[in-house]
Amino acid sequence: MNLMAAVDASVKVAGLQDLTLHRSVSSIPFAGRYRLIDFPLSNIVNSDINSVGVFASAPFASLIDHIGVGKSWDLDRRKEGLFFLPTTHKNGGIATVGSFHDFEEHIQFFEKSRQTHVVVTSSFVVGQLDYKEMLAHHLASGEDITEAVGATGSLKSYILSRELILELIRSHRERRILSVEDLVNLKKAPYTYGVYEYKGYFAIIDSVQQYFKESIGLLDENNRRLLFLPQAPIYTKVKDEPPTLYIEGSHVSMAMIANGSTIIGNVKNSIISRAVTVGKNASLEKCIIMQKCTIEEDCELAYVIADKDVHIEKGVKLTGTAVQPIVLRKGERVTKEDSQ
Amino acid sequence: MNEKIVAMLLAGGQGSRLKSLTYDIAKPAIPYGGKYRIIDFPLSNCTNSGISTVGVLTQYQPHALHRYIGLGTPWDLDRHQGGVTMLPPYAEIDGIKWYAGTASAIYQNISFLQSCEPDYVLILSGDHIYKMDYEKLVEYHKEKQADVTISVLEVPWEDASRFGLIDTDEQMNVTEFIEKPENPKSNLASMGVYVFDWEILEQYLEEDNAIEESSHDFGKDILPKMLADHKKMVAYPFKGYWKDVGTVDSLWEANMDLLDPTAGLVLHDSAWRIYSSNPQLPPQVITETGKVQGSMVNEGCVISGTVKHSVIFQNVMIERGAVVEDSVVMSGTHVGQDAHLKRVIVPPGVDVPEGYRLINPAEGITLLTQDLIDSWKGSGQQ
Repeated sequence: MNLMAAVDASVKVAGLQDLTLHRSVSSIPFAGRYRLIDFPLSNIVNSDINSVGVFASAPFASLIDHIGVGKSWDLDRRKEGLFFLPTTHKNGGIATVGSFHDFEEHIQFFEKSRQTHVVVTSSFVVGQLDYKEMLAHHLASGEDITEAVGATGSLKSYILSRELILELIRSHRERRILSVEDLVNLKKAPYTYGVYEYKGYFAIIDSVQQYFKESIGLLDENNRRLLFLPQAPIYTKVKDEPPTLYIEGSHVSMAMIANGSTIIGNVKNSIISRAVTVGKNASLEKCIIMQKCTIEEDCELAYVIADKDVHIEKGVKLTGTAVQPIVLRKGERVTKEDSQ
Repeated sequence: MNEKIVAMLLAGGQGSRLKSLTYDIAKPAIPYGGKYRIIDFPLSNCTNSGISTVGVLTQYQPHALHRYIGLGTPWDLDRHQGGVTMLPPYAEIDGIKWYAGTASAIYQNISFLQSCEPDYVLILSGDHIYKMDYEKLVEYHKEKQADVTISVLEVPWEDASRFGLIDTDEQMNVTEFIEKPENPKSNLASMGVYVFDWEILEQYLEEDNAIEESSHDFGKDILPKMLADHKKMVAYPFKGYWKDVGTVDSLWEANMDLLDPTAGLVLHDSAWRIYSSNPQLPPQVITETGKVQGSMVNEGCVISGTVKHSVIFQNVMIERGAVVEDSVVMSGTHVGQDAHLKRVIVPPGVDVPEGYRLINPAEGITLLTQDLIDSWKGSGQQ
């Protein structure tokens, strides 16, 4: 029994609008140096799956730039490997995972495969799913479709046979089902449904609040240990940043910091992405700063999510809350006048 | 540039003064700067200078280097045309010939060079740390219509006798070439970076090979011979950071230079990136009890102790209460609770036990070894 995987990178997630103006949900930066899609892709390759279709809808420039031919995941193969499968859905597809409409557009991906079973997964759930173990469970249960479920809900990952997914793709219109998730939620006959109990760490990123909460949650050692397993690394696009520099006089405590950054000021309970500069006497508390942001001297930021390339000028003070973190959009420049 | 430049990177050096660091790897493979190996610098310089055909000559403990460089992907040297070629010594009908000197290493790969059909050959050393635009050097070589151009660096007079020195006239024509003299009359040191017109190099390599008593070395044989023959030999004045990391002390210094903004080597430079093979590791974490000051820290580290003025490589765990100052801690090591290190290089694979203390005075640098730790344990100091 062998697996192929279909990653749905076109699901519409309404609550993430501020972070998806220029990108799909799947390419939202997460945990300092990753994009959300790195997690399902890494889970897939760590489960020895070599045939992976990424179904994406516009805007996908940032996603293509990130995954390329799949080299970082060892998916640049002569045989099988990564297939980038754009869909004609506008404005981010439908709201459930595994759209049969999208799959139908690339039905050959499923038809031509030599694998027996298919993993269908989303790109906004972060975890460490072992699909080999899930497949063994699926086969032992004898059910038609198996869903991975954790302590607090569904991981929106499914396993079914390739034969069944082909049947569903061909008949979804007359049966009036939209997606794999839709089918599992409706529990339509004549199929049978099983559950694979997942016990590890997982985070569902379906709103800005969740994004903020789960990002900060990574500072908890238990979460970190369960997500970053030495035997199952999370792969991402390589950037060749130098190690991070901590200048004399900086104060950093409880922070996750990616390479290429320069920390001169104070950082607490925060996540700092690649190539960020935190200026002298600036202080950050409960902030998520994405790559290439510049935070000038004397800034005071709390509960702020700064998207890529944000520039915060000298002396800016911004304070959000855990429920309503302030989101600075990609490339935004914030002056002291703006913040008053 | 329409002319073809081929770089030959000499990476066979042992570096015996680096002690246990080079027992099982060649000097160019030594870890440096939190995530790099020394050879990343000349390789990245090639890529950034637009040179895409590079031969890497290996001899001493080559496995780590061969594995590290692979197809050359991290340096964009995995090319259809050119790219990187590893050149270890090989056997031929007459037997196996080891690389006796720098020139013999190139001579024995003369067929590789011939197959590349270069116009210019750039000779580089795999064990120097510097950022240099080789394209400018080749342009200079062409402007001067030289047969060979030697890149030189002004060194402090007191250190001059440690180098191969070059004396020039005002037009930078080389007038004398002196290897490590006792009483230097010049402070222009050769960086071991040469550009040759290919025909000239080919001719001199053939000639030198025929001379039995030759040591087959560029500095001792080829260049003095060319000078004696009145070939056009010019010096190219390089300005910037350059370091030959030959000893434990100089390796430590070169790492500390990265923490000193006035030292001149800036790695946070997107215009001249140093490429390296990247392990896939999560970001570094500084915990509640961690303190990091004036230091450089790489991915995968978890810092719960105090790190002052140090360079910390990937995947290092520094436990609560531990203090690491003025030190270099290489990848994958663990520094136990309440350990205290000052002016120490911790090589990969050596873990520092709980409570271990090694505090060096101002002049001393210690390369930590398992033997040192074992004898500390044996002395019952825990």
